[in-house]
Amino acid sequence: MDLQQFLPLSLDRINVWIGVLCTLAIYSLLYRENPLYRFFEHMYIGLAAGYSLGPLGVDILYRYWITPIWVQGQWAWAFLVPFGMYLYFIYSERYGWVSRLVIGALVGTSAGLFFQEFASRYVVQLHSTLSRPLWMSSANPEADLFGVITNWVFIIILVSVLVYFTFSYPQKGVVKNVATAGRWFLMIGLGAIFGNTVMARMALLIGRIYYLLSDWLMIRI
Amino acid sequence: MQTRGPSIWERMLSIDRRILYLLLFANIVLFLLLPIRMRAAVSPPVQKFYDEIEKLQPGDLVMISSNWSASTLAENQPQLEAVIRHLMRKKAKFTLISVEAQSRDISYRLASRLTPEGGYEYGRDWAHFGFVTNLIVSIKGMVNNLPDTIKKDVRGTPVSELPLLKGITSLRQYKMIIDVTPSATVPFWISYAPKETKILYCPTSVMAAEAYTFLDSGQIKGMITGAKGAQEYEQLLGIVGLGTRFVNAISFSHVLIILFIFLGNLALFMNRRQMRQEG
Amino acid sequence: MWQIQNPNTPTGQLILWMIVLGAFIMIMGLVPLLHALPPRGRRAIIVIITFITGLFFATEFFLPINKEQKNFLTDAIQPAQQAVQVITALALGLGTYGLVRLHLRNVVQRRTQWGYSLVLLISFVVMATFSIANTLSEQGLVEKTPLLEQGFKLLFDYTLVQLDAAMFSLIAFYIFSAAYRAFRIRSVEAGILMFTAIVVMIGVVPLGATISPYLPGVANWILTSLNAPVQRAIEFGVGIGGLAMAIRLWLSLERGVT
Repeated sequence: MDLQQFLPLSLDRINVWIGVLCTLAIYSLLYRENPLYRFFEHMYIGLAAGYSLGPLGVDILYRYWITPIWVQGQWAWAFLVPFGMYLYFIYSERYGWVSRLVIGALVGTSAGLFFQEFASRYVVQLHSTLSRPLWMSSANPEADLFGVITNWVFIIILVSVLVYFTFSYPQKGVVKNVATAGRWFLMIGLGAIFGNTVMARMALLIGRIYYLLSDWLMIRI
Repeated sequence: MQTRGPSIWERMLSIDRRILYLLLFANIVLFLLLPIRMRAAVSPPVQKFYDEIEKLQPGDLVMISSNWSASTLAENQPQLEAVIRHLMRKKAKFTLISVEAQSRDISYRLASRLTPEGGYEYGRDWAHFGFVTNLIVSIKGMVNNLPDTIKKDVRGTPVSELPLLKGITSLRQYKMIIDVTPSATVPFWISYAPKETKILYCPTSVMAAEAYTFLDSGQIKGMITGAKGAQEYEQLLGIVGLGTRFVNAISFSHVLIILFIFLGNLALFMNRRQMRQEG
Repeated sequence: MWQIQNPNTPTGQLILWMIVLGAFIMIMGLVPLLHALPPRGRRAIIVIITFITGLFFATEFFLPINKEQKNFLTDAIQPAQQAVQVITALALGLGTYGLVRLHLRNVVQRRTQWGYSLVLLISFVVMATFSIANTLSEQGLVEKTPLLEQGFKLLFDYTLVQLDAAMFSLIAFYIFSAAYRAFRIRSVEAGILMFTAIVVMIGVVPLGATISPYLPGVANWILTSLNAPVQRAIEFGVGIGGLAMAIRLWLSLERGVT
């Protein structure tokens, strides 16, 4: 390794060293809580909050509020931001309830939009479930034995898990056995999620260590 | 009375967490530096993803929804890089949009860095629509009237004036939507995007297991699971990217974790047995 | 009617400034008036706003569409989305405002460890300045100077991105430690979970294919045939629950929210 290239003697290298300092300061928490970590933690929060003002201010307020009013002359938009500012009354003890006018508008929007989501997201899945061929016949020329067995497995698991989640009636006798099977099947899903979660978290750490080895120590990987 | 010292099992159970951290760190360093490249068996969701992009014709328009921040850099960056490279090979045009503030700059910079490789020019072959705070209403707006919804790109150009979007009035005219995300944004695309537009998904691994129901119903046509999926995709493309560089370390960090779950259980079992024997 | 002629002339700009100022005074002036209402009256207004916004999006979806895939409400989606974007931005800004307010108090009142709050505030102000200036410069609204370019690169690419990535990568250490200390196979459920996790963890990575060519197939079968129906059952639960909750919220039956 060329020491001249490694040391922070150029602007690019200074940047890389700063990135490494940030990484190692955060990792110092693994040893114990310390002032260096606290310093960088607060810096991180400040930077993240400060950064958001650029996209929020320019991509949203400038694009959707300032330009329509001052460039296109659409004056009616002038009432929107003052109305949205009602949100900031949330910190007022006296007028706190006023923020609920805006929250109500946002909640109403989400609720109204959900009907489309229900139809496009869940009904399609219901259709996909109900249209699985469960036996081989001339009506299902593409269905093979393995596919049919897999479909039965799919339906059995789905029904068992749904039974496990249904608490509208007492789970006794056969229902209890089906619910127990449902709980076991549920563990398969949770196991898959756990396995994938481990993979994701490891990848994030690997990415960071890759940065230290590749960008900082300049090791070709 | 002489008291016995802690047994090996007790010591294993009370091991200092920092030793565990160091072991994990050393394991990753070791396997990142390992020069061996193992070939992956390409999983069906990744193969389907690849096949769908292969079907694109030159000039087809693709929407990339990039919603990740630096917190999932190692998972989503390899995916986005591989996907953009593939789109450029197919001469497909693309636009980016972000519902995550940081992703606006990260994806814009990443695409600005990669696109010259394919001779892509901003405005003619690709563009970035910037940041939106509410993806659902953006999608609904874009379906109805795209230029009026997006108004301007990140460079301040009215989108109706971009050569790339000449004659494009609705999201319906897009051939494909690719969601690169660590958050639950793909249900929004599934729910509100036009049914005729295919949806491909690049989640972080955490999100992947939950998406198999969408793959099964055909609501998404293909999926690249995290950095591991990106490695499979890079293998299909015949390139060495970040996924390929990470995958050895991913494999062996899994081995380490499984080994330690086993050791933890063994230590607990043996310790209990010993305590029972000692009354 | 909703647009003034010649907005870019000095007179047009003056009129627009007057309208914006007037709108601020008018909307803020409404607050004491609204506050004078009895609690039932206040709630009625919130309920009406919630219902009307929900009704608009629900009706737009349910009404039949013509050959152009539109109904009489479809074109109103565009201004509605514009309003929602702005209001959501202000809601997101509320978090930032709360954060700054808290730390500003820490500094002003010299509370314990106020120095860290000062670090946060300085970082906030510096980054906000560079972020806004950079975003404006991309749009050609301010000049992109070398100081702005280098400063933003340092603050964003080499500080914020690095800190963000490092902060979230810490979880890998904790997950490893927790797996060793807390993942105990004491029941059938835990055994099934562990077995599935191991097959998935090994089967989906290249090491799995190296160990046995069948392992990736088994892992994929678990994910597609065993995991998918479980996820679908959860989806159905979430969907029905979500629909019930949406109706309750829309009709303001869910107290505490509206």
